Amino acid sequence: MFEFVTPLFLSLIIGGTFVGIIFGAIPGMTATMAVAVCLPLTYSLGLENGLALLLGLYVGGISGGLVPAILLGIPGTPSSITTTFDGYPMAQRGEGELALRIGTISSLVGGLISLLVLDLFAPTLADFAIKFSYVEKFLIIFFALTVMAALSSDMLLGIFSGVLGIFVALIGTYDISDGGNGNLRLVPPGTEYWLESGFSLLPVLIGLFGLAAILEQAEIGVPKGHSSKDIKVGKHSRFSFGVFRGEGINLVRSSLIGTFVGILPGVGGSAASIISYTNAKTFSKTPERYGKGEPGGIIASESGNNGLTGGALVPLLSLGIPGDSTTALLIGAFTLQGVQVGPLFIGNNPGTWDAMIVAMLIANIAMFVMMYYAIRYFALVVTIPKHILFPVILMMCVIGAYTINYGIMFDVWTLLIFGVLGWLFGKLRLEVAPFIIGFILGPSAEIYFVKSLESFGDVTIFFTKSWIAVLLWVLIIGSVAGAALMSKKRRQMTEEAA
Amino acid sequence: MKFTRRTLLAAASATAMLAAPLVAEAQNLPRNMRMVIGSDSTGGDTYQNSAIVAEALSEKLGINIKVDAVGASEGFKALARDKRGTTIMMFHDQSFLGNLYGVKGYDDPFEGYIVGPTVAINPGNAYLVSADSPYQTMEDILAAAEAGTRVRVAIQPGGVSEIGFSAMKNAAKLRAPGSEANIVAVNTGSQSDKNQAMWDDLADVINGSIQANEQFTQLDPSDQKAMRFVWITARPETLEQAPEAGMGGTTRDAMLGFASPETHVPLNASEDFTFDKEFFLLYNKDMDPEIIAAIDGALTEIYAEGKIQERQKEAFFIPDFLPSDAALEHLTKKRDTYKQVIDEITSGS
Repeated sequence: MFEFVTPLFLSLIIGGTFVGIIFGAIPGMTATMAVAVCLPLTYSLGLENGLALLLGLYVGGISGGLVPAILLGIPGTPSSITTTFDGYPMAQRGEGELALRIGTISSLVGGLISLLVLDLFAPTLADFAIKFSYVEKFLIIFFALTVMAALSSDMLLGIFSGVLGIFVALIGTYDISDGGNGNLRLVPPGTEYWLESGFSLLPVLIGLFGLAAILEQAEIGVPKGHSSKDIKVGKHSRFSFGVFRGEGINLVRSSLIGTFVGILPGVGGSAASIISYTNAKTFSKTPERYGKGEPGGIIASESGNNGLTGGALVPLLSLGIPGDSTTALLIGAFTLQGVQVGPLFIGNNPGTWDAMIVAMLIANIAMFVMMYYAIRYFALVVTIPKHILFPVILMMCVIGAYTINYGIMFDVWTLLIFGVLGWLFGKLRLEVAPFIIGFILGPSAEIYFVKSLESFGDVTIFFTKSWIAVLLWVLIIGSVAGAALMSKKRRQMTEEAA
Repeated sequence: MKFTRRTLLAAASATAMLAAPLVAEAQNLPRNMRMVIGSDSTGGDTYQNSAIVAEALSEKLGINIKVDAVGASEGFKALARDKRGTTIMMFHDQSFLGNLYGVKGYDDPFEGYIVGPTVAINPGNAYLVSADSPYQTMEDILAAAEAGTRVRVAIQPGGVSEIGFSAMKNAAKLRAPGSEANIVAVNTGSQSDKNQAMWDDLADVINGSIQANEQFTQLDPSDQKAMRFVWITARPETLEQAPEAGMGGTTRDAMLGFASPETHVPLNASEDFTFDKEFFLLYNKDMDPEIIAAIDGALTEIYAEGKIQERQKEAFFIPDFLPSDAALEHLTKKRDTYKQVIDEITSGS
């Protein structure tokens, strides 16, 4: 039955997972990049073996992003942005190893739950996914955008930062490949050549999170008594599964949210972890701890983004439609082998289907084993003196930015521009997290909003399209109301303290 | 057998002598070459076709060729930047159709670049309706437009997807002037967006392809996702070269039923509109002619050997090699034909 499980098959999964973790762990390199680089290799490997390699890279790449997110405060991949919110504060107070273990276990659970859903319900879920038109997809993105308010210490400034992020994301062409008119928007005269495609996400991300942090540190210097050598990696962070007590619902809910978001083509991996994180915070008894080193935040973010891995394969294998940017590359493996992926794929190719499920299972386990037992060594990163660490991070950021679009120098300038911008944000009390969330989700929100109006011709369609739309409005209103209440509570506490 | 140093040297010399002609030919070539493609998808026909050609060329020339799916605009930029011959581009008719439709980022490829050899045709460009659609044929669609019914067609504007739509409007105009106004575009993006437009009942007809949509035509008609072909734009003589088994559950004969002359979409009073999606290479205008000659020569040999044709046919491509000069002449004529269609339809609307 499982004759495809050969030593080569296993080696490719394990090797792929290992390389994927490395790609995910280097700021500016992503799972998508890992798959893109290795895709041509599948040409000679054959379909099952080729997929084994790519799925290993996919699972490893998504998971590896938590390492720099926790230890350095730089999201290794866009889908690990929310991991920085609580992971980095934990690392700063000497709990880096604990945070990494929580993240790794959450990644494993998210990956396995989504794989189970993929295996049992793929065709049924694909039928459900096509009920989501432009309108419902816009509302999901809009729901994810409401997190901007919840994540901000000052609600008004947070919303302003988020809207600014959306605005910056709209610079460039309204691309015809998105059904647009191909016109340039918001591009200053003389910069059309560089800004035609807008700012690339990865350089913006690593500029705002990586370079800006380095500039801030360079400005204040390393205070005496705060040498990184003072951080005792393991002492403060004895791991026990007790940390998951009371987090079971968060873990399963976030995994399912990630899976569900993955099922919807075009919504994207970042939305999965953002929505998971917001939900965890909303339903938490102690929401005020989120953003300050709360394990629940890491659990939500990491189970959410790994939940995406199985979910994104549902539309790919049931409709021939990739669920996210990495599975969009994955489809190339089938294309190179001349295999049609569509609604008949699973029935026509049971062997390949089984191989993919087994490969995903082994990749998740391999990822867990590799990361769990390597955490002790990863965590040592925080003990490296900053005058050595920062130049290395800076170099990796520049290399990542330069390679993301196959060697575009403007991407390096983007990194530098947004690094300085991120540093200025601190001075102006603007918030980086809402800005980047706006930047990531803005383009999709625009496309789905415009297409909804073009298609249905009336703004009321957002309220009347379907029961799914109504349910999403309930979630949106709940999210905004929750954020407003939290903000009020924070103000009251501040006033009482004063 | 005992291997002495002398034996190994002799073996190495023999290998070098055998490889000499190719190495000599490839001496001016960069050791690493990047083939950018006009699509940012690795799941589409452009990537698949480019991978086949790149692999064959790499082997023949003894160099590394990497295919990068960067998209049209970035691909043209990368090509324009690189005069050294380390970047070449693989694209299809979209390159000049985008320019004819006035899409930003599409320079005239005949002006700004050197048109290289054609390598293959994808005969799969198609139009589909939902399985429960009242339209059984293109005739029904044109008749509906004539009767004043709005027929919504989901396309991606400005290229291969739109040329068939323009042809539909042109056919409606020929049949009953004014009725072309009833054939309206629903501008979408990717194939999944076009499919979704059909499932959301936003489009009556969608542009698709045999490769991407054939499985949907095999679903039970009661399935909400089920579709039917109504038109395949390829020339019948192109489709006839496809494998007899066709693709999936659709035989070549069945495909021919959706193509001219069985399915009639007139271009003018005497001929039908047909469109073959053709892939060809583009070079930087200042690229060393010797490198171009080496690539042309290598492809001539590759196609003479015949292995690549088998690979292309397995992947449902129709081999279509023309060296650079012949390709330029052929593609210029082709561009002029479609320019007429576009001018005709845009002048009347």
